[in-house]
Amino acid sequence: MNRVKQLLLGLGFAVIGMSIVALPVAAAGYDSTTEALIQSLNLKLLYVAVPITILVEGILIYTVWRFRNNDDPKPTKENRRLEITWTVATAIILLFVGVASYQVLALPAVTATPQVTDSEQANATEVTVVGQQFLWTFKYPEENVTSRGTLVLPANRTVYLNITSRDVIHSVHIPELGLKQDAVPGQYNLLRTTPTSQGTYQLYCAEYCGVGHSQMTATVKVVSYDEYQQWLEDQKQSQ
Amino acid sequence: MISGLTPLAVTSVTTSVALTVSMGLVLVAMIVWLARVEDIRSYVPASDIGGGAGQTEYGHEEKPGGITRWLTTVDHKDIGVLYGVYSVITLAWGGLSVLIMRTELLDPPATLIQSTTYNALLTSHGITLLFLFGTPILAAFANYFVPLLIGADDMAFPRINSIAFWLLPPGALLIWAGFFIPGIAPSQTSWTMYTPLSIQQPSPAVDLMLLGLHLTGVSATMGAINFIATIFTERAEEVDWANLDIFSWTVLTQSGLILFSFPLLGSALVMLLLDRNFGTTFFTVGGGGPLLWQNLFWFFGHPEVYIIVLPPMGLISIILPKFSGRKLFGFKFVVYSTLAIGVLSFGVWAHHMFATGMDPRLRASFMAVTLAIAVPSAVKTFNWMTTMWNGRLRLTAPMLFCIGFVSLFIIGGVTGVFLASIPVDLVLTDTYYVVGHFHFILMAILTAVFAGVYYWFPLYTGKWYQRGLAKWHFWLFMIGSNLTFFAMILLGYAGMPRRYATYNVDIGPVAQFTDLHQVATLGAYLIGLSGIIFLWNIVQSWLEGPPVQSSDPWELAEDGLLTNEWQWFDHQRETAITDGGAESEETDTDTDDNSEETA
Ligand code: HEM
Ligand SMILES: [Cu+2]
Ligand SMILES: [Cu+2]
Repeated sequence: MNRVKQLLLGLGFAVIGMSIVALPVAAAGYDSTTEALIQSLNLKLLYVAVPITILVEGILIYTVWRFRNNDDPKPTKENRRLEITWTVATAIILLFVGVASYQVLALPAVTATPQVTDSEQANATEVTVVGQQFLWTFKYPEENVTSRGTLVLPANRTVYLNITSRDVIHSVHIPELGLKQDAVPGQYNLLRTTPTSQGTYQLYCAEYCGVGHSQMTATVKVVSYDEYQQWLEDQKQSQ
Repeated sequence: MISGLTPLAVTSVTTSVALTVSMGLVLVAMIVWLARVEDIRSYVPASDIGGGAGQTEYGHEEKPGGITRWLTTVDHKDIGVLYGVYSVITLAWGGLSVLIMRTELLDPPATLIQSTTYNALLTSHGITLLFLFGTPILAAFANYFVPLLIGADDMAFPRINSIAFWLLPPGALLIWAGFFIPGIAPSQTSWTMYTPLSIQQPSPAVDLMLLGLHLTGVSATMGAINFIATIFTERAEEVDWANLDIFSWTVLTQSGLILFSFPLLGSALVMLLLDRNFGTTFFTVGGGGPLLWQNLFWFFGHPEVYIIVLPPMGLISIILPKFSGRKLFGFKFVVYSTLAIGVLSFGVWAHHMFATGMDPRLRASFMAVTLAIAVPSAVKTFNWMTTMWNGRLRLTAPMLFCIGFVSLFIIGGVTGVFLASIPVDLVLTDTYYVVGHFHFILMAILTAVFAGVYYWFPLYTGKWYQRGLAKWHFWLFMIGSNLTFFAMILLGYAGMPRRYATYNVDIGPVAQFTDLHQVATLGAYLIGLSGIIFLWNIVQSWLEGPPVQSSDPWELAEDGLLTNEWQWFDHQRETAITDGGAESEETDTDTDDNSEETA
């Protein structure tokens, strides 16, 4: 039994070591409120899941190694209590996953609902995102500006993306901001977030939409509020 | 295509209607012809089964020889072999198509093939492996072994059994038609066939594919009805529900799932065909809406993933104890968990649609059921592991593949739980992470298939496979699978979307993508190599392998684990010896002693 314990302890450390090395995502810092919420949830799940996975795989390998060509096999004895224990244990872990996920899910930065207060709306930037084979168009209805292929957003302000499509289903996918929402024709889907660091990010189309699917990308620029205003002016001028 | 009818669209509509109708006629004609073939009508099933019951007056000489035997057989074992051979062919095409795609993905731009070709291969790969390989290979095992395990003479409806199989080859031809009919582009809908894209694609190959899918669905449904009837009514007297073997339980549950899900897919396919060709609006914007297709498709699609995983779980539950020298731990709980999965699998379909903008409250309840379905899956895993604990493990090829199954299934299950968590799914859905998740499970399914092929190889060939090659097969397969699909998990975390023919993006981490894609491709080549070794081993050993010397080749009797099918085998061998080798197997005199294999 002692050997088992040592083995498990060793595995435990190996896991923690590995998760630190293998998770550059976690170290990179977050670029939007949405990403922060989702990635810290993901990290929480990983801290539970990776040790469990390695533990179970470890026990599997240990079992094989220990009992291969074993001269003294014991007949199978049913054990109800063991069955109930692991059923309940699994259920509890999954309950934890459910509760943790639900708490994050209920937040507006993850699930945006159309009902928002006027004061929130007043300061927010609204953009209509339209997918069309194989191009993204970004409309700023309040400013009467339309931009193709580039989405410019002010940092540290609430942003609403109203997403739709003109033809087939596409999907807005900005992994570095933790954003994904399908663009479905005949329907508007809402995303809400606050970009927190300035920079340039990749927008991909994540729903297979035909021959140009993998070329249907766009640029997302998160800039300071002043730069954002300036950009809007420039756009108005050139349109 | 429906509203603005340009001349081009009109011609394409008429060609596709014409093709659709004529293919339909060809199919009907084939079925009529099949039903009329004299042999099928007058043929008496060779019921040489019965194990202990022992009523074996019909000899093999009743079977016609050569190709006619295989075209007209209604013997469940022959049909099992037909399913098996068919599945090997489809597996080969599925594997080849993906190797071309993986080679293309070695570098970011489109260098080897164009995006259209990539998308066509992508579509064919998914559909081939799920519909033309996944379901049929399991039918191969179920056909051959369920009647033997439950002590039935044959399937309840042997002729329906034969028809169900013979619907598959035309199904495959229709699904692949776009690749060999000159002048039409292969279908590029992806396996999920999301509307409106699948309505919009003009090629008649899409219609042919939908017809082919419909046929395979009819085939699967007929098979399912047959299995249900067989397990309910054809069991030998001593086999009751309490001691029905675990593989038959999973086949029964699987058949139930097929019965409730495939007809729905069939209807949805017909509606899609109508939308494409006759201007109906089931799945169009302003009609039923694009999400109606997704709801119908996944109401079928999620049970489908359990349709292809339950019988492999049954195979593991039946084979793994044999080489652990003890009975399956928690038999009852394994059966309960099978039934639980069967029921729950109809309540989780919307977890494939978390990003479509569905009602948030509804979404949360689908998350809950999805998490719940992980419980019975975990229970099974723990039962397999406890079966091994304190046992006497013999690391033969079938056992190695059983262990491989458990190890891959653990990773597949855990990655699935992340996807069940909606916020996490929102960043990972439609990325390579999802591809990684389900391939861990699909690779597990393949290991179960290999375990079954090796375990029963002595039974259906009377020969031994080559032990060394089988081990090479195993290790290459495991290393390849882990490399490929672990790389995909990481690709998904890095944001790489799935179904991308190219990835030469401006801002995204192209260098990281490239490295991971190259690792994935390397792994895929290893899997491909393992497949060639497998094929060689099976074919060569079947033709020239050393004959089995005992009717208990795995020495199961001493552990009290000899199941019905080996008793049938024993009986079979005795008859073969007394009536002078009706199996037409020249009994080799220079006997290789293969008892080593079991050690
Ligand atoms: C532990 C149990 C499992 C859980 C919690 C789970 C969860 C999920 C979820 C939530 C998705 C949707 C991901 C997305 O598209 O965003 C998914 C996809 C998928 N799962 Fe699982 N899964 C489990 C087991 C299985 C099994 C047993 C199979 C059997 C083959 C399977 C095959 C698939 C397939 C094929 C897809 C992708 C479908 C597609 O989009 O093409 N999963 N899984
Ligand atoms: Cu796309
Ligand atoms: Cu599912």
